[in-house]
Amino acid sequence: MSETIDTLNSPKAIIGEPSKRRLAQWTDRVDALCLQLGDLMNPILVKETRQALKSRQFVITFSVLLIAALAWTVIGSLSMMPQIYTSPSAPRMLVGYYVVLAIPMLLVVPLAAYRSLEGEIDDGTLELLSITTMLPWQIVLGKLASASLQMVLYLVALFPCVAYAYTLRGVDLPTTMIIIGVLVASALLLTVVALFFAPLSRTRTGRIGTLLAVMLILINAEWGVGAMVISMILYGNPLPIDWVMFLTAAVVLVGLALGHLLLTATAAQLTPESENRSTPLRISLLILSSVMVGLSAYACTELGETGLAVHGVFAMSLATIWLLCGALMSAESTVMTPRIRRELPQSFAARLALTWLTPGPGTGLVFASVCILLLCGASVVGLYYSITMYAPGRGIGTAVWRQFVQLHVLYASYAIAMLCLVRAVVAIVRMKNQPPVQVGIAAFLAIAVVVALVPYSVGLHYNDYRPYAYSWWQLPNWAWTFQQSLDRSLLRGEEYVIAFAAGCMLMGALMLSPSLVMPRRTATPRRVKEERLAESRVGTAPPDPDAVT
Amino acid sequence: MNDVTDTTAISSLPPAPAVHVNDSACIELRRLHRFFGDTKAVSDVSFSVPRGHVFGYIGPNGAGKTTSMRILATLDLPSYGDAFVDGFSVVNDPEFVRQRLGFMPDSFGTYRDVNCREYLDFFARAYGLVGRERLERLRWVLGFTGTENMADKPIRGLSKGMKQRLCLGRALIHDPAVMILDEPAAGLDPRARIELRRMIRELADRGKTVLISSHILTELAEMCDSVGIIEQGRLLATGSVDDIQHQQAQTRELVIRILNDADAAARDICKRLSLDATIVDGELLRFEFAGDVNDQAALVGWLVGQGYSVAEVTSHKKSLEDVFLHVTEGLVQ
Repeated sequence: MSETIDTLNSPKAIIGEPSKRRLAQWTDRVDALCLQLGDLMNPILVKETRQALKSRQFVITFSVLLIAALAWTVIGSLSMMPQIYTSPSAPRMLVGYYVVLAIPMLLVVPLAAYRSLEGEIDDGTLELLSITTMLPWQIVLGKLASASLQMVLYLVALFPCVAYAYTLRGVDLPTTMIIIGVLVASALLLTVVALFFAPLSRTRTGRIGTLLAVMLILINAEWGVGAMVISMILYGNPLPIDWVMFLTAAVVLVGLALGHLLLTATAAQLTPESENRSTPLRISLLILSSVMVGLSAYACTELGETGLAVHGVFAMSLATIWLLCGALMSAESTVMTPRIRRELPQSFAARLALTWLTPGPGTGLVFASVCILLLCGASVVGLYYSITMYAPGRGIGTAVWRQFVQLHVLYASYAIAMLCLVRAVVAIVRMKNQPPVQVGIAAFLAIAVVVALVPYSVGLHYNDYRPYAYSWWQLPNWAWTFQQSLDRSLLRGEEYVIAFAAGCMLMGALMLSPSLVMPRRTATPRRVKEERLAESRVGTAPPDPDAVT
Repeated sequence: MNDVTDTTAISSLPPAPAVHVNDSACIELRRLHRFFGDTKAVSDVSFSVPRGHVFGYIGPNGAGKTTSMRILATLDLPSYGDAFVDGFSVVNDPEFVRQRLGFMPDSFGTYRDVNCREYLDFFARAYGLVGRERLERLRWVLGFTGTENMADKPIRGLSKGMKQRLCLGRALIHDPAVMILDEPAAGLDPRARIELRRMIRELADRGKTVLISSHILTELAEMCDSVGIIEQGRLLATGSVDDIQHQQAQTRELVIRILNDADAAARDICKRLSLDATIVDGELLRFEFAGDVNDQAALVGWLVGQGYSVAEVTSHKKSLEDVFLHVTEGLVQ
């Protein structure tokens, strides 16, 4: 920094000698260009890079990485002498280099990112940052960019070693590229996960919990990714090309969508309470769901009967995600600040299409319910095509098909009913307290346990604590009902009774709080309109459609 | 996912105040409340500060100064009421407030492995300053706060006074119209306090509105155009230091030395002035006296007329500290 300032006022600029003056002008131009480039960069990236280059952690990690890579190059090569000249030796060398690189990439960098964001909260600098003009998204992206820069430095440092291993033969270039790609993608995703956990808790006990969770995830990922990469290096890639392509696309797309959701959630945790934190999360959730539905549809139609397994994985994942997120959305605060109210959609069409994205428990319940229904419908349609395409003998009308439909109806019905109950329970709790939104998940788990255990316990009592058969009284008991469905012993029509009950509960919830489902927009203050108009005149902000003239 | 502040405790209050109307005020707090459970950290605080004024916010520890300032700095939300900076609500338009606001909290908030120049440069970038504008601002702030010589030194090695200067520089880096300084003089030596006072006055002369807090009235008396005294979340008095002193100093302590029978004189004085009691300390009588100097002379004449030997009369005007002690009750939450 000091050099930059000094150079701007440098006496070099006024040196009389023409060649020196030209040199000084040239360096000044380069300096000005660098200054402009620096201005384009995220301030967090600039600050963290300066910090990292001076930090002991980076110096030690980088030095250990170089020493370990050098040591493995010498020890590995010597241990394979003299066969190293005649037989392919790259796999063994590459495994060593992978281990050397994976520890900083998958452990040190995500943990450093976690600690960096946590440190901002502990030292009070996050508050100072939050009152600047930087957006929470910029703060999170800056942290991610800084971690990515460290990853690039580690990768570049080890690149000559990887090139050396490649010359020893035994691992082809695509496999090497895939290994590096997997490592980088995993490291980025783990960094995003670590960043998500950093602001999750502000209490000491919570901090210990989140740190343990992050450590657990990182160590498991280190083990999982390591096992996959090392087996790929040693035994090659056993999958056919269409599966390789599909898995690559799936990992990249789901990774991006999941990363976006986690980054949005991290930014939401850093956003002031008065602002709308819910809508970006809902949009991000829609993106993730769309990506998974698209990939599932591709797997069902293009990857043969085994594509159904992919569909199953995606369906289970989405089912879990929507239950948790639905519980969170149903537990949102009913208080909507004027700031949020004045940004609500205004036209009839916009209100019809976008009101479900506005924050609040009413819209959250409807949004989650509608999405669950749509996803279940999409899943049933995908299964219909798969079954008619690949297993005509087991097509529509068979017991398998009925079971599929039954499971989807049961899931959607129970999910919607439980979300309605979560909404009711949290509304009661909010009458006297102001709990965080995470209370929705706690309420959901409690409700799930209660509605399963109570009918079962009552039945057990009336049957003198002896085993008894499933009956209509056990309809609220979702666990037993699902078991019955999986055993194909559920009576015909029971799922529709549950669906009817869920529909009634949803309608009841909506009718009890119409203002929460269709919140009304408020006017923007005149002072704000004037400011926006002034900003749009100087080109710092887009013109406000309601601006005063 | 979306969560806003506690509203349960304020259900009995009337609807929230409407939008800002006082155009002359640069800072305005309107019926501000902040509850933390049963604790009323800020309770119905309203005041305004005109542009270019220095307003001292005084109160004992735990009075609610920092909570009010954090709300003004858009770091916290009021449970009820609103605050405005340059006409913008801190609740609904925090981004416009932040552009105009420089906040210096009571903690330093510094980074490791960063020197002073890098620290200020980072915040300049965070406020969106680019190119030459950023460099010029950086140079001005380093000069104004007297930290040029420290510019390339790591923050970790700075003294408390220098850290305070640096933090003031950080708050000033984007040239805000309003400065909020939370106990900036705490822990500083006398010279550093004088320097700080000079800088704050200079900022006010440059047209900046300054809200500064302290728990010592005398510390702010010289630099503030007006002050507000807060205790237990309630604003007890506002106005200029002289006004408050005048309001609270209607009575003065009178000490009279009676050589013969001070106890009997005390009883007579109580009867004449309708006092509950006077303090008798040997030959000395101490009591609160509400009259002026003529009333004082009349009282002495009357005592002499009653046969008492008045040897000495002393009148004490209340100091700023006495005023502060009189206004506050030393209660904490």
